[in-house]
Amino acid sequence: MKILVAEDEMIMQKTIELRLKKDGHEVTTCSDGREAIQKIEEINPDLIITDIMMPFASGLEIIEAVKRKGDKNIRIIVLSAMGQENVVLEAFQLGADDYITKPFSPNELSMRVKRYSVDTKEVTI
Amino acid sequence: MKSTNTFLQINPYPLIGLLYFFLGLMIIVFLFIMFFSFYKRKLEKRKKFWEEAISSVISQVIFYEEDGQSQMETKVDEKLLQNSNFRQYFIDEIIHAKKNLFGAPVSNLKKLYNLLKFDKDSLQKIHSTKWYIKAKGIQELSIMEQVQFVKEIFRLTNDSDELVRNEAQCALVNFYGFKGFRFLNVIVHPISQWQQIQLLNYLHDAKTTDPEQLKKWLASKNESVVTLALRLAGFYNSFEVYNEVIQCLQHPDQQVKLNALMYLKKISPDDTAEKIINCYNFSDRTVKLAILSVLEEIGNEKQVSFLLKQLHDNDDTIKLASAKTLSCLHPMGKAFFQTHLFADQNPWKAIFSQIENERAA
Repeated sequence: MKILVAEDEMIMQKTIELRLKKDGHEVTTCSDGREAIQKIEEINPDLIITDIMMPFASGLEIIEAVKRKGDKNIRIIVLSAMGQENVVLEAFQLGADDYITKPFSPNELSMRVKRYSVDTKEVTI
Repeated sequence: MKSTNTFLQINPYPLIGLLYFFLGLMIIVFLFIMFFSFYKRKLEKRKKFWEEAISSVISQVIFYEEDGQSQMETKVDEKLLQNSNFRQYFIDEIIHAKKNLFGAPVSNLKKLYNLLKFDKDSLQKIHSTKWYIKAKGIQELSIMEQVQFVKEIFRLTNDSDELVRNEAQCALVNFYGFKGFRFLNVIVHPISQWQQIQLLNYLHDAKTTDPEQLKKWLASKNESVVTLALRLAGFYNSFEVYNEVIQCLQHPDQQVKLNALMYLKKISPDDTAEKIINCYNFSDRTVKLAILSVLEEIGNEKQVSFLLKQLHDNDDTIKLASAKTLSCLHPMGKAFFQTHLFADQNPWKAIFSQIENERAA
């Protein structure tokens, strides 16, 4: 599965990247929202994992950009900090599919991604 | 003609000197800006390089067991590791990563912290003479769960600097939960309300409690220790200290009384309301209002006559609080407002209608 990881914290970005690559996914990373929006156009990912708070454009703006694109096959998982419930709700209203609260376990993220991976295969079949 | 002569008589050299001075000043400022921006860019470049190096190591280390390695291996440049700024940056990054992750990666991060001997760096900080370095050292050891340094940290729970002892107290509770509160036996400084809330936030274990310790702290001469013990008793629903908490209602300190009332709101055998009423007359206005509020939760019809008396207190706020409690405890509920002798007179009329409006809303 083609996954775009938008996360401005380098360690988190690399950790997620490494975890997902170990699971056999094709991972592209970016460190800010603006770059993420550009990458969506370039690589057309199956799944986007995005942090909410990012420089230049937030995770919510990324979701809006995906919805504007009109591609309903792109799934979005939002990474949020504790106490950002309102933002998570807003993300769901905009069209996010799932969310994970920091602190999180990379294995939990892996399992959630696997679920979408199965969904994508079913759609392809 | 005369004015032209005056103009020609002006000496131009000081003006030229001034011009050179400002020109020189501009050049110095320009050079400073150039140097500063160059230095800043160099620092940013170095930071970026460090960030790349550290994030690669950390992300590898997080999954090292999955890669089939029996021992953690780190490929960090030895020269860099001798640089104290790099070491501090590395520690900050590990701590930051630990805050964002849980599960196996967290224990791997702790292993990395110890493997690179960062615990020694943090320990060194707590021996510093500067309070902010000390506090940072304690914080690092606490977050990285370095329980082996508990002796050094325990000593700092009674430090003369408030921020240092706050960090040390939080560290102990973070390490041991309720048992970490043993510093309450020796502390001589007051513990602020904010710090008490912080300490309760660090409590993870809701199971273990020692009522004998709580009883000891409830009898402490340090009022803040008594307040914290009351909060802990409430947190653990410790019924064993009920009698000691009732005693606290006679305490001269307002905060102690208020926290005792908070406990009694949660843990209240049948006769608690009567016991609370007994201390009403010796209490200040704030405590009286708190008592009336607690009675609303735990009271019964037996307190109605007491509350009817309070309806005639000189203080209108107390009248209002009594009326609110009465509307809950009176057998007629809020219908008793109509039967009250002064129901048509102010301030009772206004008070009763306010309560009715509040209830309706």
